[in-house]
Amino acid sequence: MSALLSVQGLTVSTGGKTLVSDLSFSIGSGERMGLIGESGSGKSMTAMAVTGLLPANISVAGSIVLDGQEVVGTDDKHLNRLRGVATAVVFQEPLTALDPLMKIGKQIGEPVRRRLAREQAHAPRGAVEREVLDLLDKVALPQPERIANAYPHEVSGGQRQRVAIAMALACRPKLLIADEPTTALDVTTQAEILKLLDGLVRETGMALLFISHDLPVVAQVVERVMVLRDGVALEEGTVGDMFANPAHDYTQTLVDAARMFDEALGRTGS
Amino acid sequence: MTALDLSADRPSRRHSLALSIGLALVGLNVAVAILTLFWTPYDPLNASGGRLEAPSLLHWVGTDRLGRDYLTQIMIGARTALIVGTGAVAIGASIGVTLGILAAFATRLLDDVMAATLDILIAFPTLLLAMLVVAASDSASLWSAILALGLAISAIVARLTRILAKRVLRQDYIIASRTSGTSWPGVVVRHVLPNIWPTLSVNFALQFGLAVIAEASLSYLGLGAPPPNASWGRLLQEAQGTVYTAPVGAIAPGIALVALVIGMNLLADGLRDVGDPTRGRSR
Repeated sequence: MSALLSVQGLTVSTGGKTLVSDLSFSIGSGERMGLIGESGSGKSMTAMAVTGLLPANISVAGSIVLDGQEVVGTDDKHLNRLRGVATAVVFQEPLTALDPLMKIGKQIGEPVRRRLAREQAHAPRGAVEREVLDLLDKVALPQPERIANAYPHEVSGGQRQRVAIAMALACRPKLLIADEPTTALDVTTQAEILKLLDGLVRETGMALLFISHDLPVVAQVVERVMVLRDGVALEEGTVGDMFANPAHDYTQTLVDAARMFDEALGRTGS
Repeated sequence: MTALDLSADRPSRRHSLALSIGLALVGLNVAVAILTLFWTPYDPLNASGGRLEAPSLLHWVGTDRLGRDYLTQIMIGARTALIVGTGAVAIGASIGVTLGILAAFATRLLDDVMAATLDILIAFPTLLLAMLVVAASDSASLWSAILALGLAISAIVARLTRILAKRVLRQDYIIASRTSGTSWPGVVVRHVLPNIWPTLSVNFALQFGLAVIAEASLSYLGLGAPPPNASWGRLLQEAQGTVYTAPVGAIAPGIALVALVIGMNLLADGLRDVGDPTRGRSR
């Protein structure tokens, strides 16, 4: 089986500074993988490189094959056909990731409309609206009609992140990239969003690339983890292995930190 | 309704007074301008009374040096002002917004060149630029004045659009929209233009007012609409010689000019608050 996403020797640099160096990993269809590291470790850079949306002043070397298409060096017009089809992204900040002047229903409707236009020549009337309400329902938002007619500033942070997830789902991507989707949320909301993401990924069978600085969070939704530090991959393995016998000191500290956090909360095991 | 909706309503109610006054002033002007297409109190081109008559029941604002009804002239002046303001802003907006968006997307070097060029153009006095364009065209006409003012406005609009668009393009929701497959033109239409519109529209209204004043200045200098097109600027110029004997001739077009410009500014202010749904949010 050929991988859905295959990254080989990815090096990202800007102005003589290397942000990600010689990174290689692959994700098969339906597979769920986590990318962990502290701020500045190059996790988000890697995600943006996969979508081909890094700013022009950041140079990318190596190879990223997404759904059979090489991303590095391909022009934007061709890459744009992959976006939303092969990948969709959920971002960290649910407030800034939504257009403040566009009603939520319309924002989710855009990718739906594009997908329907791609799939069938003539979408029946009201198909977009129906699917938008469906999606809002799927991400467990109460009163979909009201939310669809609201502006982003009129709903709560957790609800906004659900909207952002609905927008990503609207594309029906083969790979969902979640870039710290729970970091900006409080702990209770975090757990709800994780549960939602986990359920949706299982239900739709899409692959997931989950980016986080938080090992316990990642462990809840993925099978395999890669640890990044200063743009270098330290180790890669299944979640179980990583917790049982971390090969690298840095991973050990992450695991210890996670344990300490759990103990502090009075939780047992993980 | 929920508390959220109430708090969103409050600011627009606070500004509704500005909006109402603005609408009234501009609306009156538009109504008068349209009316003159079908009816004026007197023939604007021929004398209907004695020379320099004081205001009376027959001639509410008196008559000019040639005995023509002054109110008729001012009413037609309203039409001229509206045509100039609308035309100049339309030209300025279409050229300016296009250039500004292009500059926001251009490479660093091209963007710098465009920014510097715009700064030079803006440093050039609008009136001087307009006079040059009018002088360069064969004869002074309303259209050369509109074109000249439109070009001057386009430089200001382009610079503003460039800055606003660049700021919007840096927002997370642009990247978010791009990751779901929106093309750059799609991003401009769906996200950039709606998000810069509140600020741009206020600027358009401001430029409208300035264009009306500039046209009056050009007419005052004899470079605007030639007779028989009545223009408030030309009325002011003609009234200059008789300002002590017949002050109404200078005051009346002056009031009309100020009313339209103030009305336009109030309207813009009010519209911005109504048009921006995030305005209700307390920061």
